[in-house]
Amino acid sequence: MARQVEVDHNRCEGHGKCVLAAPEVFEHREDDLSHVLVDDVPEALVTKVDRAIRVCPRQAIAWRD
Amino acid sequence: MAPISPEALSALPSGINLLEGRLFQANQMHEAFRVLRAEAPVHWNPGTDRFNGFWSLVKYEDILHVSKHPEIFISSKGIGGSGLRETPPGQSGGSSSIITMDPPRHVKMRRLVNKGFTPRAVLQLEPKIREITNTILNRIAHRDSCDFVLEVSSQLPLAVICGMMGLEEEHWPLMFDLTNQILGSGDAEYQARVAPDKVGTFEGATLTAADGNRRMNGFFREILEGRRIHPRDDDMVSILLESEVDGERLTEGDIVAFCNLLVVAGNETTRNAISGGLIALCEHAEERARLQDQPDLMPTAVEEILRWTSPLHHMTREATEDQVIRGTEIKAGEKVMMWYPSANRDEDIFDDPYHFDITRDPNDHLAFGFGEHFCLGAGFARAEVRIMFEELLRRFPDIRVTGEPERLRSNFINGVKHLPVTFTPER
Ligand code: HEM
Ligand code: SF4
Repeated sequence: MARQVEVDHNRCEGHGKCVLAAPEVFEHREDDLSHVLVDDVPEALVTKVDRAIRVCPRQAIAWRD
Repeated sequence: MAPISPEALSALPSGINLLEGRLFQANQMHEAFRVLRAEAPVHWNPGTDRFNGFWSLVKYEDILHVSKHPEIFISSKGIGGSGLRETPPGQSGGSSSIITMDPPRHVKMRRLVNKGFTPRAVLQLEPKIREITNTILNRIAHRDSCDFVLEVSSQLPLAVICGMMGLEEEHWPLMFDLTNQILGSGDAEYQARVAPDKVGTFEGATLTAADGNRRMNGFFREILEGRRIHPRDDDMVSILLESEVDGERLTEGDIVAFCNLLVVAGNETTRNAISGGLIALCEHAEERARLQDQPDLMPTAVEEILRWTSPLHHMTREATEDQVIRGTEIKAGEKVMMWYPSANRDEDIFDDPYHFDITRDPNDHLAFGFGEHFCLGAGFARAEVRIMFEELLRRFPDIRVTGEPERLRSNFINGVKHLPVTFTPER
């Protein structure tokens, strides 16, 4: 089943660790926040997203369930 | 020097007592942590007649776990040390800053000042940081030696944070002295304002910290007074004066506490990352040569310096419910101390953790903490350390440490008080 990921903009402070971990999924925009680029995370990128979730220092990223 | 107190000798695994500042002053904590990670990853320190007992966490994953649950492991009951068994009279007061606030109020307060700390804000200030760095280096450039801490590493963070807060340069030396008093209260060097017979004692330390805080808060109350009469819009103090949380203005006490936190948190930590970074580079000649040949390695070198130095030794939390960590039961109301230098040398996380490697990757160190309270100033700290070493190594490529660093007696700050260096003067 395809899964979606989201960034909580109340917590994100634009440290960009997620962009380094999964550039296909996260993008740093003008507003200094991280934005999700895809609706469904392809299976091949799940590990990268898991890593982004793990390293985000503000714990702003989570799988939507 | 005061004699080692009986409480310092309280029995622990292999005789290690993390309450004893001297263990850290002697730079022997890494060896102690290595033993603890292997033999007693979650251990109870019974405390003393003065200090509460506490759990010591020394494994990366355990520290991460606690950091990820700020609603269970709270900050509002104290974040440094294990806390005194009895609060000294006149010392609990209503106001607190974000570092001792819990969810949900914490994030609302943090968002007030957040804008001033974003990657963009840091980027905008970069030219200014470089200019300040070079002004500092100009002052030593015609000589061939100096005390690196007093003249270089302490000066950059001081100028940056005081600049952000809009403080006049004439006040910076006072801010320097007061942060030393507040965070270095246990070291006799900073106890100049207590009676001679109290220097080096527990009471001397308590009085020194209290005096530092009283004067710091008094100073900021005066600054606030001034801003109310002559409003400004370009500094942190003024932003705080205008801010609201849940439709309410901040109280004077809240603003003063916030200013106090920014000055203290912004100074002592970054200073020691720079001092510790220079020591590390001098002790690892090959890595240093690599960096001087390839200055573009600086960003990863900065991360390694942060992992290696871990300027803050610990942060404390209090459990609000019973929890099990690594099979050990922790009861509601008990203190938990997270030892960052240990997490940052955890063999389960870092390959060859006792090797200083300026290209280490990945390097997910916890020097800035993690989660809810993740260091607000991390972007500035990284930029300051990077720019300082870029300019320092460019202008003084042969700078080297010539004597034993004089280290701070503290189990909280990994401090260096004095560091003699020599270099070829610029012409
Ligand atoms: C190398 C330098 C630095 C290190 C190692 C460091 C380390 C830390 C750590 C470990 C925390 C987490 C505290 C906790 O979990 O309770 C923290 C919080 C904080 N730091 Fe830093 N820091 C540094 C530089 C700075 C600078 C330059 C500033 C300000 C300009 C700053 C401001 C703060 C503030 C305001 C907090 C509290 C954040 C909160 O509670 O939400 N720090 N820092
Ligand atoms: S790592 Fe976390 S805080 Fe940083 S940009 Fe990504 S989501 Fe935001």
